[in-house]
Amino acid sequence: MTSTALLDLHAVEKTFGDKVVLAPTDLRVAEGSFVSIVGPSGCGKSTLFNIIAGLLQPDGGTVKIQGRDVVGATGHVGYMLQKDLLVPWRTVEDNITMAARLTRRVTAVDREEARQIAHRYGLGEFLDHYPKALSGGMRQRVAFMRTLVTHQQLLLLDEPFGALDAQTRLDMQRWLLDVWRESGRTVLFITHDVDESIFLSDRILVMSPRPGRVVADVENPLARPRDIDVLTDPTFVALKSRIMHLLHGGGR
Amino acid sequence: MNRKVLVRVVTPFVSIGLLLLVWQAVVVGFNVKPYVAPRPLVAIRAVSDNWAVLWPLVLEIIRETVFGFLGGALIGVFFGVIMSKVKFLQRIIYPQLILSQAVPVVAIAFPLTVILGFGSVKPIIAIVIWIVFFPVTVNVLDGLSHVDQDLLNLARVYGASRWRTFVQIEVPATVTPLFSGLKIGATYAITGAFIGELVSPPLGGTNLALYVEHANSNFDPASVYGVTLLMAAIGVTWFLLVAGAGVLATPWERRSVARRWRRRTIATPQGDH
Repeated sequence: MTSTALLDLHAVEKTFGDKVVLAPTDLRVAEGSFVSIVGPSGCGKSTLFNIIAGLLQPDGGTVKIQGRDVVGATGHVGYMLQKDLLVPWRTVEDNITMAARLTRRVTAVDREEARQIAHRYGLGEFLDHYPKALSGGMRQRVAFMRTLVTHQQLLLLDEPFGALDAQTRLDMQRWLLDVWRESGRTVLFITHDVDESIFLSDRILVMSPRPGRVVADVENPLARPRDIDVLTDPTFVALKSRIMHLLHGGGR
Repeated sequence: MNRKVLVRVVTPFVSIGLLLLVWQAVVVGFNVKPYVAPRPLVAIRAVSDNWAVLWPLVLEIIRETVFGFLGGALIGVFFGVIMSKVKFLQRIIYPQLILSQAVPVVAIAFPLTVILGFGSVKPIIAIVIWIVFFPVTVNVLDGLSHVDQDLLNLARVYGASRWRTFVQIEVPATVTPLFSGLKIGATYAITGAFIGELVSPPLGGTNLALYVEHANSNFDPASVYGVTLLMAAIGVTWFLLVAGAGVLATPWERRSVARRWRRRTIATPQGDH
């Protein structure tokens, strides 16, 4: 890896009772890259996320973001889940500025930024709407804008599109690629969906359960920018086949 | 006002009017003697004819109801919040609060009067507080305990302090259950004030409860029923005011777009970015 590692995990492990949820794991994520983690339920991917986010204390190992040790410390990443977690009592604009409101005073600059980002990504007309007036896809977009304006370089996205229908999901994936390219952030992305992981990422980490561990680190050779055509590209199909076998065993 | 809203406003009044009609029909139809139960209009006239005597007493019981309710609401919120924040205190306090509600209010009213001063307004307020705070506490505690854990985690990831998380997330998330508790308390409050007035009448003076008591012993059911109706009206009005405050406090539950005055404080250039 030539570029600097934004995120550097070394020998991170976690045990709940006598169950090893995460075997000692090393992980380096280059600044500006898009890395996906695929694996079945119980493979420890959410545990890994919660350790990086600082919500969980690992039993051992180090977590460094931009060279700083952040084990057990919060406030260093942007974080988004399958549930949009928009608060119903705030408008779209105020939901976008949520992180600021939770840590300090919301300034005119914060508001202006929220409005601009909403205008840029097609939700400008909904700034004064409450979340309940929005569709699932729009809500996830607001949740992602809220994550972006935290100005964290590292964004942890835990199955953010998992609850959306297939059509909306593909729209959101294309949108996310645009925003990611424009924002220059680093994304660590959890998903069950192999297609999604290949369509979006530079690298795909395959995890397996009992104990949770990374069993493969797959480079994605597909060129960017990508659009729906890559979904039927032979390289895509070959990569998908390889990852499916890694996940479900059998063959090659 | 459109038709739908009109129907929604009018229906409750029609419903209560029907109840009075049934009352009238039963009294007339079964030939109920006036000393057993009066006709509704006679009961209402018994109030309006004596309005000069009644209104200071009515004002007084409204004051007791409102102040007792506000005190009960504050204390209810206080207990709800500290029990949700300190689990240890919850285990100690909750059983005592439940016990306080299992004790018949009328029974506890007498010792309260002795402690706080017979003839004073304090025991009356205390009794209203006693029955109002509990539904508030239970609902606030429930509300605070059911705030989405993922949302609280998100706040932690952002690096939010416990205080800001409380103010920005836990408090607004509890507004709806809080008002459920307040609405229950609002209907109880007038009953508490009446019981309080019965056990702690002002020395050498009178109050609405005594008025009803005297009317009852003077075989004047028209006044008993009339004042009872009046108190019911006070209770309903207070409930409606509290419910209305609840609606104002939760605009997001019935609106899609925030009202103008809630929106941005600074003008935004539209579109041309």
